[in-house]
Amino acid sequence: MTNRRQFLKGVAALSSLSLAGCGWRLAEVRASSNTSSQRDQLYIFTWTQYTDKQLLKTFSTQTGMKVLADVYDSNDVMLAKLQAGGGGTYSIIYPSDYMVQKMVNKGLLIEINHDRLIGLENLFPRFQNPSYDPNNRYSIPFNWGTTGLLYNSEKIKDAPQDWDYLWQNKEKLNQQMTLLNDVREVMGATLRMLGYSYNSKNEQEIKQAYEKLKVLKPAIARFDTDAWQNQILAGDLILAMCYSADAVKISQENPKLKYVIPRSGSSLWTDTIVIPKASPNLAGAYAWINMILQPKIAAQISQRLSVSTPNRVGFEQLPKAIQNNSNLFPSESLLVNCERVTPVGDFEEVYDRYWTQLTSS
Amino acid sequence: MNVEKNEISQIEELHRLRGNWLQPLILLAPSGIWLLLLLVLPALIIFELSLVADIRPGDLVNPNGFQNYIRILDPLYVQVIVRSIFFAFGTTIICLILGFPVAYWIAQIAPQRWRNLLLLSFVLPLWTSSLLRSYAWITILRPTGLLNGLLSTFGLPTLELLNQSQAVFIGMSYSLLPYMVLILYASLEKLDKRLLEASADLGANPVETFCQVTVPQILPGIAAASMLVFITGLGDFVDPELLGGASSMTAARLVYNQFLGTTQNWGFGSALSMTLILLVSIAIALLIKFGEPAPKR
Repeated sequence: MTNRRQFLKGVAALSSLSLAGCGWRLAEVRASSNTSSQRDQLYIFTWTQYTDKQLLKTFSTQTGMKVLADVYDSNDVMLAKLQAGGGGTYSIIYPSDYMVQKMVNKGLLIEINHDRLIGLENLFPRFQNPSYDPNNRYSIPFNWGTTGLLYNSEKIKDAPQDWDYLWQNKEKLNQQMTLLNDVREVMGATLRMLGYSYNSKNEQEIKQAYEKLKVLKPAIARFDTDAWQNQILAGDLILAMCYSADAVKISQENPKLKYVIPRSGSSLWTDTIVIPKASPNLAGAYAWINMILQPKIAAQISQRLSVSTPNRVGFEQLPKAIQNNSNLFPSESLLVNCERVTPVGDFEEVYDRYWTQLTSS
Repeated sequence: MNVEKNEISQIEELHRLRGNWLQPLILLAPSGIWLLLLLVLPALIIFELSLVADIRPGDLVNPNGFQNYIRILDPLYVQVIVRSIFFAFGTTIICLILGFPVAYWIAQIAPQRWRNLLLLSFVLPLWTSSLLRSYAWITILRPTGLLNGLLSTFGLPTLELLNQSQAVFIGMSYSLLPYMVLILYASLEKLDKRLLEASADLGANPVETFCQVTVPQILPGIAAASMLVFITGLGDFVDPELLGGASSMTAARLVYNQFLGTTQNWGFGSALSMTLILLVSIAIALLIKFGEPAPKR
């Protein structure tokens, strides 16, 4: 006669048997066969500020396909969702430059067939062969910018010139400043301030940056990539580390908020459009990219969504005021010390360890 | 011969019981299958993931030891888990102090015909999204928010509450108070008033009556409500994320960082999740052991 103990033992044995030795692969992204594709619907996965209803409507009128946009606010969230199985529906994704390299290494992207593209030559020469993706094999640049400091010029009379402004004015900025919630941006900025590279592979240098940040931490309100926007407009914050695209949008709402690229150098980023391997609607994806490459659309996006367009012909169509906006289109002299964030391979773990120590204490 | 008769009737009983297993099984099957597929199976998958050290998406899953659990013993992560417990425990105490008078008033003192309305009004916030409620607290507790605006109108000094532990406690207590009040109300409703009168007749003052008569009667209710608030608070992600500042990393946020951050160490995140599940199980075990009232003599 079985009793409860024997029953539980049996279940435990069965379950351990069934799970061990199965050897399943974690979070495999499988390509969907194109025979089951949807010809009249396009799903795009994009950043919250890179698309609006008008853009989706323009695409629908041009091609007759219905567009549905899902949004994310972090590259890592996007990658995790892709790998956890939710990525089989998207035909267009907007990763940042270093994430493109990561995704290519994981085999998640298809090579873009340039013959199917119209208007690739409209891009500025420096975007025709970018360092993160030679010859734009897997990605098309969409937006570029810098990371810097946005400050309230009414409350801060002496404008910050460099990252060390934060350390020098710790008391004045106490609990009224935020840093980005991004390990590479924050640690990279500190490394740069100490004279090292954004992509340092030296544990001693990374440790130095961590010690520096630990000193600053009590004065930081929070590590935030998005929510600082409302707070700096309301006056709760007087300084925020931010991306230039967000800074332009916010300074349009309140001209007293000024953006500055730190002198010792900052990060130069490019957001791109890619087509994942598991894309169900390939024709729609190419149609979307072709629409973005149209100079008229590129100029419209630039004005409506504060996007620094890499499209040369589109740029020339913009009004002079926007062309001369040095936050949106900084000149070469401002960019001389800027560096691109690249994947660092095994050292990601070192960065992450110090970042967890910084944010957990 | 009597012994034989007893044994025969016992065997007959056993046969009858064994034949009756089909009916309970059919009745329990829907929820049983639901629990199995949606609770037990995912927990087992997470457990298997937690046994793989340094796994990344795309790797083969081959359980190879308890390195992830040993890694949790690092003082850094222990501090994070202790902070989670601290938030949950503090929230339970605050909810208990705030919720008990309300539940007592609704159950015993308020007029009978208002009880349902009062309970409904207390439960109403639960019908809105908890995320929205946390965002609302940001609006209230901001340095230039509603609270400070109100305080400065009356000439009082402004409070700096947001981005600190205080805001997390406020947010969590607000979210979990309705649960505390509801469960305490259920217990307080059944309070035997005659016992209170008897203890007053015997000369006890209100404090003694409360400590020695009321509390032991509703102890199971207090234990159940505290356990619910503690367990929910332990796994709360939204309030520390939105209301806490740079120094309020809890276990839930750490799990989030492992899965949705740059690390992508899903094995370690799973181990952290299993640790949280273990803590919750310990809490429930304590409840079962000590929460039952002593058997009446």
